[in-house]
Amino acid sequence: MKVRHPTRDRWISLAVLAALALGWQVLSLVYTAEAQPGEPMVAGWQVLFTRTLLSLSDYWPGGLGVPAVADGAERSYLAALLAILLHSADTILRLAAGLMLGGVAGLVLGLALSWSRWTRRLVDWPLQFIRTLPLLAMVPLFQLWFGTDALGEVVFVAYGIGVIVFAGTVNAVRNIPQIYLDNARALGASRLFLTRTVVLPAIVPAMRSTVLLSLGAGWGAVLGAEYLGAQSGLGYMIVYAQQFAFLDRMFLVALLFVFYTSVSTVVLARLTGRMLAWAPEGQRA
Amino acid sequence: MVVTDSRMIELVNIGRSFRRADGRTVAAVSDVSLTIPEGEFVCLIGTSGCGKSTLLAMIAGLLAPSQGSIVVDGREIDGPGPERGMVFQRDSVFPWMRVVDNVEYGLRCRGVAAPERRAVALRYLDRVGLGHVERAWPRELSGGMLKRVAIATVFANGAKVLMLDEPFGALDYVTRHQLQRVLLDLWDDGRAGTTRRTVLFVTHDVDEALLLADRILVVGAGRIVDDIRVEAPRPRDTDTLLRSDAVAIKHRLLGHLGLERPLAQGRAAGAAA
Repeated sequence: MKVRHPTRDRWISLAVLAALALGWQVLSLVYTAEAQPGEPMVAGWQVLFTRTLLSLSDYWPGGLGVPAVADGAERSYLAALLAILLHSADTILRLAAGLMLGGVAGLVLGLALSWSRWTRRLVDWPLQFIRTLPLLAMVPLFQLWFGTDALGEVVFVAYGIGVIVFAGTVNAVRNIPQIYLDNARALGASRLFLTRTVVLPAIVPAMRSTVLLSLGAGWGAVLGAEYLGAQSGLGYMIVYAQQFAFLDRMFLVALLFVFYTSVSTVVLARLTGRMLAWAPEGQRA
Repeated sequence: MVVTDSRMIELVNIGRSFRRADGRTVAAVSDVSLTIPEGEFVCLIGTSGCGKSTLLAMIAGLLAPSQGSIVVDGREIDGPGPERGMVFQRDSVFPWMRVVDNVEYGLRCRGVAAPERRAVALRYLDRVGLGHVERAWPRELSGGMLKRVAIATVFANGAKVLMLDEPFGALDYVTRHQLQRVLLDLWDDGRAGTTRRTVLFVTHDVDEALLLADRILVVGAGRIVDDIRVEAPRPRDTDTLLRSDAVAIKHRLLGHLGLERPLAQGRAAGAAA
């Protein structure tokens, strides 16, 4: 029998993280090449959390009594913090809206098409086709269809997530053991009641990985949309920094992403884990 | 033995064929006609692949017959219905519902109020000896306990006809005998009140059929090839199996299953002694 050591495991993970951070610092000291004068290719932590962080105040458009750098104000940590919050909120809101929209649409459509063997056959082939279509290839098309404002980005994220959730739902419903469906029917369940009480709970374990997968795709989609044309958001910050070869800023925003994606994955895993109290431990962890 | 005149199940020229992958059509059940009176405990016995499970699935309404008609309780069936209940060979208990919610499921389908269906479910859970695990998740139960839950579920649903498809096939000797007793005990409820429920029990175990059945139907190659009454009094036990009439039936059944030369050889009685 395997013995689990959650505390020890956590310490090991932390040690690995610390080693990575240390490695980065060593690299910054050894490899001192610069992209342009005063702009190191590899910025050490002492640079990232002082000068780089401060420079993010350039992205604050002004307001709340904190004037914008563009209007002649000095850079400040407060403005930098506000800039991070503002642009993060924009990105996260787009992601959340797209996630809700695409998730619900994908789930409902997937359930509807799983209704009968005929409708399932109908979508089998087109589904494989749509799944293999690279998401980012669709960015320019969506921008022309829906514009480069928030709507276009949300629709794009919803599309990216919707396809994954839809395919995942169809697949999960197909894999429900027939015995549960037979048992429910034999006990007198109507089609709709069966969907609610058997199909939906039965697909939760499979949908869990689908949702985690679509979350990753969602972050990719929202960034992709922001790279091309958005005037706010974390993706916009990265593209703007790229134009001036501000490598340290790009790295700092990338770190923010690491933080957000980790948090969103943990939150989602917790939420779905609670819905799986009935499942064997292997499917919950 | 309580046998009334009322016909609970009536099969008329039932047949069912399947199309195989190579395009050929195979008949799993062909031209079965059968009448089962209310309250009778019928065992269907036969070798693997003889069509007994197909027959059961059709009466349950989970499988449409290719031809013929099935009348249950005076109504021609067209899909599953609450007057019939089914216990499957494999585990059918929903793992995402607690034990008591599983037992309530059929009543919930028919819109029975929550307190009422809870009371019924708890009563039957007690009867199958699982009153202490009503709030447990199915994953916490053993295979035998899951079968008890399945039995409680169909009885709680109040079906007049119970179908069990090799329900105890995968259980160990002791558990199987305990569950046979649980099943007979619930079936016997009818004796005190109105009428017993009608039971169709598929098995491949000759002794099990002898212990349970009023009547044994032997299925072979999609047809009913023998129809045997078991007159041994209830309650039955291991000694029942040693009665001469039971031994005779056993030999007849083993003959049908291809495990022994037919009874006509006249060695049967000697071999049993």
